[in-house]
Formats: sequence, structure tokens, C-alpha cells
Amino acid sequence: MANPTLNPFIDLTGRRILAVDDDRINLRIIGGILRHEGYEIAEAMSGEQALEVYAEFQPNLVLLDVMMPGIDGFATCRTLKTSYGDKCAPVIFVTAKSEADDVVMGFEAGGVDYLTKPFRPKEVVARIRTHLSNQQLVEQQKLLVEQLSKANAAKDRFLGMCAHDLRNPLSSIRGLAELMVEDAIGPLSSEQREIVQTIHGASQSMLQLVNELLDVATIEAGHLKLAKEPTSVAEIVERSVHLSNIEAAKKGTRIEIVRIGADPMVSVDRNKIRQVVDNLISNAVKYSPRGSVVTVLIQSDGAWAGFAVRDSGPGIPESERHKLFKDYGRLSAVPTGGEKSTGLGLAISRKIVEAHDGTIGVENIPGRGAEFVVRLPLSG
Amino acid sequence: MNFEGSIMLVDDESHIRKFISLLLRHLGVDRIIEAANGSLALELYKKERPDLVMLDVNMPVMDGLETLRGLKAINPDCVVIMLTSLANRQTIDQAAALGAANYIRKDAPPEEIGRALSETIDACFEAGEPEGSEPTASP
Repeated sequence: MANPTLNPFIDLTGRRILAVDDDRINLRIIGGILRHEGYEIAEAMSGEQALEVYAEFQPNLVLLDVMMPGIDGFATCRTLKTSYGDKCAPVIFVTAKSEADDVVMGFEAGGVDYLTKPFRPKEVVARIRTHLSNQQLVEQQKLLVEQLSKANAAKDRFLGMCAHDLRNPLSSIRGLAELMVEDAIGPLSSEQREIVQTIHGASQSMLQLVNELLDVATIEAGHLKLAKEPTSVAEIVERSVHLSNIEAAKKGTRIEIVRIGADPMVSVDRNKIRQVVDNLISNAVKYSPRGSVVTVLIQSDGAWAGFAVRDSGPGIPESERHKLFKDYGRLSAVPTGGEKSTGLGLAISRKIVEAHDGTIGVENIPGRGAEFVVRLPLSG
Repeated sequence: MNFEGSIMLVDDESHIRKFISLLLRHLGVDRIIEAANGSLALELYKKERPDLVMLDVNMPVMDGLETLRGLKAINPDCVVIMLTSLANRQTIDQAAALGAANYIRKDAPPEEIGRALSETIDACFEAGEPEGSEPTASP
């Protein structure tokens, strides 16, 4: 995001300083020092005049004498802070005395610093430079935050576009290809079938990628809303296994359900938990050798109900465990049927399970594969 | 699927209409009426009186919820299945409150769309209902 206004080298030439003092000689001295530094100076000889000049001159910094006839420096500063709020230029008090009490009162009135008379030019220049730089940095920061929130809004719009304008055509392509494979428009030659299957596979993985990117974006933006309903884990798992078996059969893989104990009710967002089940099963099929068995255990105890998915893959190496549930955390294992992976599935699953106050974890079964375990708190 | 009636398919995107209508024909539905927007759908509904309507939620000109209101005004018993691209809970609840019989996600695999459709048909129509009769909606 190149932006010429965000120059890290701060040039303070031409910055505007309002000097307020009832003593003409003091004004002349300070004005001389500051003009020499390249600043633009306006002068005021009382608090009242300072308020008028401020409004017109819109200074970047105010040098304000404390002891003045009429409204004094502290009162002037308070009025400026009340009138201009956050946008008020930093105020540096100028005082003949250097008593601690004076200084504290100055900070309470909203000043950022103080200078004592008689002036030491180098000190004046250094302190003013510091506060002007700070102020400029704060302004740049604000600008940056504004630009970032604009960029973020643009990203949201882009994702909204993905949601509608990419997902729908992709689901049509996938659906039409699937219907063609099922001979819905008549029998296909073996070459046609192969081509249509390729179209189906490619659109399927694109659709999955778009869906997962949208999921991550939604969750990251804190928009993960759960529509909880009472249901049983078995109900969700059985439906999911039924559908996954169709896909798994293509690799000669079988998915089995094993029930251990009761099947108590949980209060969950069915679609979201189903997404977790689908993801774990599809991973298990993806990383298990062709023709193997994936086991889905439905299990519970007094405090939780959940499920576990056991594969016959290579297991999770200890050195890669930390990457497992993170965004884009792809590991070294390779799908056994040329399937694709976005590296987002497990990260999404973890976020969904945690949003339900549940836990997700993985254990290696020695000599066999990995077992992913999900536990959800019982309802009530 | 055992359904002798007619289905009106309302979606502004022609590829979705192509996909769903092919799926319907594959499932044995012969009488399919297509409408590209909500106001056309209302006109066609009055003329053709289809037994079931599959209605896209997100459409320009007249959106799905407004079209649903219009359909229910013409025939309070008309059976409508909403087609959604994102399962937006709020929209689904609104549609249910307006009397939609079910919703189907367009990005679901064909067999799942087919199953949701036949579940709705089983719930809303009595078996072997004669063609063209007023459908009786059941809760």
C-alpha cells in the first residue's frame, strides 16, 4: 500500500506555531528562534486574542505563557481543549517560574510540556521538534487506521462477491457435471465420462476452497453465529457418514460407525458440527490408503458427548503437531488419491468446536494412524 | 421421486435454472416452469398454478422474500421451497414465518437437493395427488 503521505522521514518545515505572551520582547525572541527553524509563526498577546488567532491560524502547536493579564495560560489551554477536543494542537506552557506546582497545574490543564524563561534556544528547538514530530506521527497513525478500515471493508465486499458470484456458478458447474456422470442427459462415451469427471473434481475442489476461505473470513471477523438446537451426536454423524461413503467408495474406502454407550442430547449448531464431522471424515479418507476402513466412534460420558474419527494414515509426526489446527497448516502427509487440501479445514473445525465450548484433539494410534477426538458439553 | 405435479423454478441466474431443472428432470419431474425474476414468477404463477415453487432468495428487482409474500397473497396454500446460496439464519427464519415449506442450499450436492425436495413433497402432498389440484399444505 504505497502512500506518499506516509513518509517516515518527518519534514516539519512550514508547520504552524502560535506563540502567546503578553511581553513583546519575549515574543520577538521566540519568534526569531522558530522562524530560523523554518516554522510559520503567529503571535497573540493575551488569552482572549490567542483563542481568536487559533481559530483562524489552525496551528500545529501552541506556546502559551502562563502569567498573563485577563484569562491566564491555564484557563486558555482548558478552553482550547474543550473547544477542539482530540483535534487540539499540543500546548507547551512558558513560565518564568519553575516551581513544581505550576508545572503540575499545567499538565492538568492539558499541556504536554513546559519551557522556562529565560529561553535556551537549543532546548526550545528540541522540545518543539519532539512534540511536532509526535503530533505528526499521531496524525499519520490516524490516516493509516482509516486506510486500513477502508481496505478491510473492500476485502469484505470482495468476499461477498466470492460468496455469490463465484459460489453459485461453481455449484452449477459441479452439479451439472455430476448429473452428466449419472447419464442424466444420456449415456457418455468413456472419454466423455473421464472429462466430465475431471470437470466435476476440479469444480468440487474450487467450491471447497471458496467455502473455506469464506468460513475463515467470517470466523475471523467475529461473525460466527451459532444457531443451536437440541440434537444427538449420532444423528449428525450418521447423516454425514452416509454422504461421505459415496465419495469414499471411489477410493474403495469404507466408513464404519461404532457406538460406545449412550447417545445423550447436546445443544449445537447442526450445520456447523456437521461441517466438522465432514471435514474429519474427508481428511481420514484422504490420508488413508485406498481400500482401508475409517472408523467413526460415537461416544460420551457423564459430562460430554462427542465423536472420534480413526484413520489408517501415517499418523501425525510429533514435530508437526503444532501446525495441525492452525490456518493453512499443511503437513507433510500426502493425500493417497490425488485429492486437494487447502490447509484450512482443521483450523475451521477447531474454531467451530471451541465456539461450542468443546475440545478437539488428536492422538496417534501406534502402528495404525491418527484419531481425532471431538468433545461437546452436554446440554442443560 | 414420485411426484406428478408441476414445479416452478425462480432464479435470476440461468445456470442455476439449467442445473436445477436438469436435476428435476433427472428425478422424473416433467412439468417445469422457469421464471427469471420475482414479478415474472407472480404472473406465471397466476396463469399456470404450479404445484410447487422453488424460489431463489437473492434476486434483483423483487427479492425472494417479497416474491414469497406475493405468492402467499395469491394462494395461501402454495408450497414454496427457498433456494439459498448462504445459509443465512435470519432469512431462513423470515421465510419460514412467511410460510415457506423448506429451504435448500444451492451449493449442496445434487443428491442432497433431491432428498430435501422429496422430503418436502412427502410432507406437503398426499401420495398420488391428482394433477392440477389445489395442494394441501400440512404443518
